[in-house]
Amino acid sequence: MKLLTIDDSRTIRRVISGVGAMIGFEVLEAENGDMGIKVLENQGEEVALILLDWNMPGMNGLEVLKLIKADPRWMHIPVMMVTTEGEKDYIIKAIQAGAIHYQTKPFTQEEMASRIMEALGMGGL
Amino acid sequence: MSVANSPELMDKLLNGLRLAVTEMMTAMAMSEVVFAGQESVDAFSLTSEVVGLVRLDGKMHGMVGVSCSSALLREIVSRIVGLSPDELLMEDLLDGAAELANMVCGGMKTKAQIGDVNLSPPVSIVGQEYTAQWKTNRPTTLFTFQMEEGVLKVYASL
Repeated sequence: MKLLTIDDSRTIRRVISGVGAMIGFEVLEAENGDMGIKVLENQGEEVALILLDWNMPGMNGLEVLKLIKADPRWMHIPVMMVTTEGEKDYIIKAIQAGAIHYQTKPFTQEEMASRIMEALGMGGL
Repeated sequence: MSVANSPELMDKLLNGLRLAVTEMMTAMAMSEVVFAGQESVDAFSLTSEVVGLVRLDGKMHGMVGVSCSSALLREIVSRIVGLSPDELLMEDLLDGAAELANMVCGGMKTKAQIGDVNLSPPVSIVGQEYTAQWKTNRPTTLFTFQMEEGVLKVYASL
């Protein structure tokens, strides 16, 4: 099982990759929504969880989320938003569009590890 | 909307910004940071070796800038990503400066619950002998944070 992080910040992608490795997951990285969709087209069957930023150049995270949830190939993959946008309106929009978890930045590595495990139905750490 | 005409909102934003910096450094960089003061300054003019800038647009407008020495940024980013400071490339520093500004601004916005305000993609500058200036007549506040490895400054024109 792999995780997919879609985030324009290489800093955040690296942090998530490090957390993923810490709990035994390989992490695929995409720096925008288009690249994320390409990763899903090529390796979607292996992706167990998508960690999705909101503010990105090109498609924003909500648009990417809607695309993912509209595609029968990937609609079953859980999506966690990972974003600096922490206001209620954003959270509600994301949940309504199909996100199952919402993690604001900044976060500790332990928090992120725990949220990933929860999102995968493996319980928190 | 001009925040300058609403002292209550301005207080919420500035307090939110201060908390956002502390939270970011503690959570992501596992660094101790001490708030060393805030003051009103005449201009939004940043001259440190590293700058990250985010503009706010929508219900209110403004700019937030984070600045520090290149050595301090290298240390912060190295702690966040878990690499040694020597392993970091210029791309890492540029992205790190941008992400710091993004997290500070996003944290401020969330804590103040201002709603309907968009954050621009962050702009980052890493170099020497430049001045990043935003021409504005909005009041500018400079926050200073002391870290073990140096001083982090955050400018907010709101």
